[in-house]
Amino acid sequence: MAGQLPFDERPWPERRDAALQNQTMRHTIGFVTRRFTLVKQEVYRANPDIEASRTVAVGQKRKAIHDLPELLERFRTQVEEHGGHTYLAARAEDAVDIALNIARTNQVKSVIKSKSMVTEEIELNQAFGKEGIAVRETDLGEYIIQLAHEKPSHILAPAVHRNRHQVADLFQEDAAQKKIAPPHSDDIEDLTRYARERLRQEFLQADMGVTGGNFLVAETGTLVLITNEGNADMVTSLPPVLVSIVGVEKMVENWTSLQEIIQQPAMSGIGRHLSSYTTMIHAPKSSGSAEGPEQWHVILVDNGRMALRGTKFEDVLSCIRCGACLNVCPVFREVGGHAYGSVYPGPIGIVETPLLTDFQILPELPSKLCTLCHACQEACPMDISLPQHIVSLRHIVIKRHLNSGMVGWTLKTWARFWGTASGYRRSISLARVMQRFYGKRRNASGLIPGMFAGWGQTREIPQVAPQTFHEWWQDRNQKGE
Amino acid sequence: MPITVQLFVTCLADMIRPQAAIAAVHVLENRGIQVEFPERQTCCGQFSYNAGYQHEAAVMARNFVQVFESGSPEDSADIVALSGSCAAMVINTYPQLLYEDALQQRKSETEAREWKKRAEKIAHRVQEWSMWLDRHGEASLAPTDMSLPVVYHLGCHMRRLLPGSERAEEFLKDKGIDAREPENAEECCGFGGTYSFTEPVLSTALADDKLANIQRVVDDAQAVCLTSADLGCLLHLEGRLRRQKSSLPVCHVAELVELADQKKLTPAYVQELVRGGGE
Repeated sequence: MAGQLPFDERPWPERRDAALQNQTMRHTIGFVTRRFTLVKQEVYRANPDIEASRTVAVGQKRKAIHDLPELLERFRTQVEEHGGHTYLAARAEDAVDIALNIARTNQVKSVIKSKSMVTEEIELNQAFGKEGIAVRETDLGEYIIQLAHEKPSHILAPAVHRNRHQVADLFQEDAAQKKIAPPHSDDIEDLTRYARERLRQEFLQADMGVTGGNFLVAETGTLVLITNEGNADMVTSLPPVLVSIVGVEKMVENWTSLQEIIQQPAMSGIGRHLSSYTTMIHAPKSSGSAEGPEQWHVILVDNGRMALRGTKFEDVLSCIRCGACLNVCPVFREVGGHAYGSVYPGPIGIVETPLLTDFQILPELPSKLCTLCHACQEACPMDISLPQHIVSLRHIVIKRHLNSGMVGWTLKTWARFWGTASGYRRSISLARVMQRFYGKRRNASGLIPGMFAGWGQTREIPQVAPQTFHEWWQDRNQKGE
Repeated sequence: MPITVQLFVTCLADMIRPQAAIAAVHVLENRGIQVEFPERQTCCGQFSYNAGYQHEAAVMARNFVQVFESGSPEDSADIVALSGSCAAMVINTYPQLLYEDALQQRKSETEAREWKKRAEKIAHRVQEWSMWLDRHGEASLAPTDMSLPVVYHLGCHMRRLLPGSERAEEFLKDKGIDAREPENAEECCGFGGTYSFTEPVLSTALADDKLANIQRVVDDAQAVCLTSADLGCLLHLEGRLRRQKSSLPVCHVAELVELADQKKLTPAYVQELVRGGGE
């Protein structure tokens, strides 16, 4: 069954142009993504032995996806045995309903969250908001974009499009509103201190914590979270009710698998061996223990994922959301995450968005946001065949008539001509005739047929040579050179 | 017995920049290598394939396979391609593409496998021109003390899909062509085949970033031209340069290697190439 993903309703050219005009964003994104890429390369270079571990991790992850239904059962049984509750949500709206019911039952008024892409995918914050439940994001990046009323622009670093001056402005505004002391300066340290103090109060007041999950260990029914700020430790231990919302594909079979894979997101995402904090949830608070939530609910989200098993796209379910493909993507560096219009931007986003929704939203992504440079293929630690998938998706878009008919006409005609030597020769004669007709007129783009017109909007159009190589070769042979 | 190679000229070199192909032939022949040119060749079909038109690409791919199968008596000569990207297309994509397209066209499994086998045989013979020369030709016709700084663009497909392509720059340096990669060299120039037509705005934004880095090499190292083994990228960048009124010469690596062979590796001769020289 197709999943549901939120999307930006502005058409592609509008999203693109807005992004291209935002020079601060482009500069910041370019700087950060190149830096991430560099440190990633460094850490792999300095630790050649990690490559073996990565290969094992890929193999085990592929197997876990293959065995997913069985592993999900095992995971659920384990969690339930430890006193937790599990739910399987077929679609985004089901996941939201389950979470809202838990909140209602417990008369929840305020929620604290650690970073989670799947809750962006199901638009949980909006649903809680409508219900009158206050939600506070506690990951620094998420907190920043929450104040700015924005969506994440990067799956790992949600506020990567904003520089510290812009963040300082947001905090100043927030402080004025709350009538509290603003940050001392726009130094990173002062900004972080402000956020920490501000968030501390909210941590203590919250009735419910919401997390995502980086890994689910089927063997023991354990949820694993990795963060760099330690906020997940507080989200999972302070409020009495804990809800973890996790994509079904986060499953690994056992602790051996976990050991191999757990380094990968940090290595590939931020060039470090491990994130600063690793949080593992095994069960709600047991009687007699001082800390931990009284209830633990795990909502396992399908939302289009299970349908990809057994297809040639199955390997996308191995994605560990490290963001390495975004960081190396020249298009992502150019326009940033918001231009994609999906919660999942970058190479993995242009593959997953149409796949999870069965092309119901943003079918233009694979064609418009990829030059097929293959940088993502090289960067992906999970060996996901992103460029091949992008070509396949373009093919599906054509089969389903979701693309421009003019491009289709051009490429079909092209193949008719160039499938044979004589057709090829005819096409060259034709090109010469047209060239004479248009002359060297500047900006002749309006006159150029079919999809070729786009070239001339920004670039001079190359001319067919007076003598092609074919003609030169024949000429030379005749002269008997 | 002299070595024989078959030239895969590529559609862009054939139609737009035949001087590059002519130079490539001269360079090979100067080294005593016999060049065959199967005249019924057209295009590798990558434009169509990458745009998602697999059947249309397969039509061209089958033509390619048939043409290069019949060109040489033993069908064993190496096929040298004047583009890293097109070479990668034949090597990496043809076998599976022809297999799948045959099945799509309701051919039998046996026939589909047969096409795959034929494509694999062809794929094993294909190499990019400068990489082939690096492996087979002697380092240089005559040792040189010339050194002409140029900006070198190693296209994404040659860089990432053809193992050993990192040598290409050294190969040029051995010939006195002081190839220098711009900053962020591994970033796409925005060409992307049909992408350059169907998404001209982003394609151009990427070109502008690339050209800014190229200009820095021109300024800092007095590089005299922009060169690459891939004409797709070059024509896209050249089109943008000309639209912006820049006169920076743009040429294929084969043209520079020929100049090096002729001991004409000077800024003046490079200028000459662009004014439609060559013949």
